[in-house]
Amino acid sequence: MPAVIEVDRVSKSFAIPSVRRDTIREHALDFFRRRPQERLSVLDSISLELRRGESLGLMGRNGSGKSTLLKIVCGIYVPDRGRVAVAAPITPILELGVGWNPDLNAVDNIDLLGTVMGMSLRELRGAREEILGFADLERFANLELRYYSSGMAARLAYAVAFRAAREVLILDEIFAVGDAGFKRRCEDRYQALHRQGHSILLVSHDPRAVSSFCDRALLLDAGRIVMDAPAKQVADRYVSLLTEASLPSAVSF
Amino acid sequence: MSSVALRVQQPRRPWAGLVWTLIRTDFVTRYHGTVGGYIWALLKPLTMFLVLMAVFSFIFANTPQYKLNLILGLFLYEFFQDGTRTGLLSLRAKGYLLTKAKFPTWVVVVTSSSNAVITLGIFSVVLITFLTLTRGAPTPLNVALYFVYQVHLLAIVIGFSLAASVLFMRFRDLNQVWEVVMHAGFFVAPIIYPLGILPERVHFYLYLWPPTPVIQFSRSVLVDGRAPSLLAHSLLTFEAAAILGIGAAIYAWRETRVREYL
Repeated sequence: MPAVIEVDRVSKSFAIPSVRRDTIREHALDFFRRRPQERLSVLDSISLELRRGESLGLMGRNGSGKSTLLKIVCGIYVPDRGRVAVAAPITPILELGVGWNPDLNAVDNIDLLGTVMGMSLRELRGAREEILGFADLERFANLELRYYSSGMAARLAYAVAFRAAREVLILDEIFAVGDAGFKRRCEDRYQALHRQGHSILLVSHDPRAVSSFCDRALLLDAGRIVMDAPAKQVADRYVSLLTEASLPSAVSF
Repeated sequence: MSSVALRVQQPRRPWAGLVWTLIRTDFVTRYHGTVGGYIWALLKPLTMFLVLMAVFSFIFANTPQYKLNLILGLFLYEFFQDGTRTGLLSLRAKGYLLTKAKFPTWVVVVTSSSNAVITLGIFSVVLITFLTLTRGAPTPLNVALYFVYQVHLLAIVIGFSLAASVLFMRFRDLNQVWEVVMHAGFFVAPIIYPLGILPERVHFYLYLWPPTPVIQFSRSVLVDGRAPSLLAHSLLTFEAAAILGIGAAIYAWRETRVREYL
């Protein structure tokens, strides 16, 4: 099957915040007094391929570089080195639990997020009821987001993103949101999209989700891919990695 | 591999919907929770005009021309100040959208001045109506020229906003620096004093401050009833195009890394 996403030897690093200069004053002072320019390497020569119709899992501990990789694939971050080629329209579902306009109601926020994700106003008008229904928030359509709980806001965001889904879906921890009923709807929607032939790149810490919903998976550790295998094997390896990390280390006197 | 190539093929995006949604939600947010609601969009320029007119009619009773020049200058400078301030903060303010998907972020910057444009538009209608009722209607050509100048001013505001919005992500005290510049610029532009009181040799330098030519030309066509020369128009167009072009170039240079500073 042809690849819809090709990531070829991508590297990315960020300036360490403690030594970052963020103001004109700091830049002016540093002209006379140089400060160290330390950088943190987040991704180190990563290569991967997502094939058409494939569901690919991405696992790794916190700080392993998963979110940065997703943002590079989506075009939100620019890699320092390497190449990303995307051959189909992408719908990213990233950081959706946060970042609404609290002064706007659900309908206006749906319009805002939906148009950012590439939906037209006509599409949004037709899909509004469906989105609110999926999130189980019909009664709160005209309530400003400032009064929503974090769970309600996240449900609304996922409902918009699932409705905006284009050929490739990039998903970050979608099964960690909402109550059991909402999780069930997300899983059903995920499987329906997969059956329809959408290609999916799924980041998750949940071994069950990756084993159940992905054909293949990658294990990311310290910015490098350390395993590329069937999803169940990678999920098992990830669990053993976490277990090893949580064991008390030997203490020597 | 040393090259960086990001080729994301997306379908033709309905950005018109995004533009409209940003303008509409900015408007809703601005007047959110106010007692008068959206009526404030109309009342603000109207009441400001009436208050200034009443006060200046009392203070400058013997110089009606100066009173009108002052009000026009104040409103145009207010537009410049408001537009560049919201433009500078626009990417930061809409950061919650920037990390959600890849879309042309310049839309956020350009639409950020929509509220200021609405206020300027209402003020312009109020002013022209007032002039028509009190001094006779300005000629259609002069009214048209006035709106052409406002388009130039909008291009200048957008140019400044494009550059400042991306630089602000890198330099977090830029808004404070810009506030100081705006305060100083208020006295550089001939708003509270007539340009004629200064030696002619400094006029050229005052005209380099972008609001100056727009304010002077607008006064010329609406209050004095005289259109500036073709050369003056050409210089204004050149100045607006240069600021817009430089702003767009700085924006294109810095935009790719903007999201990393959120």
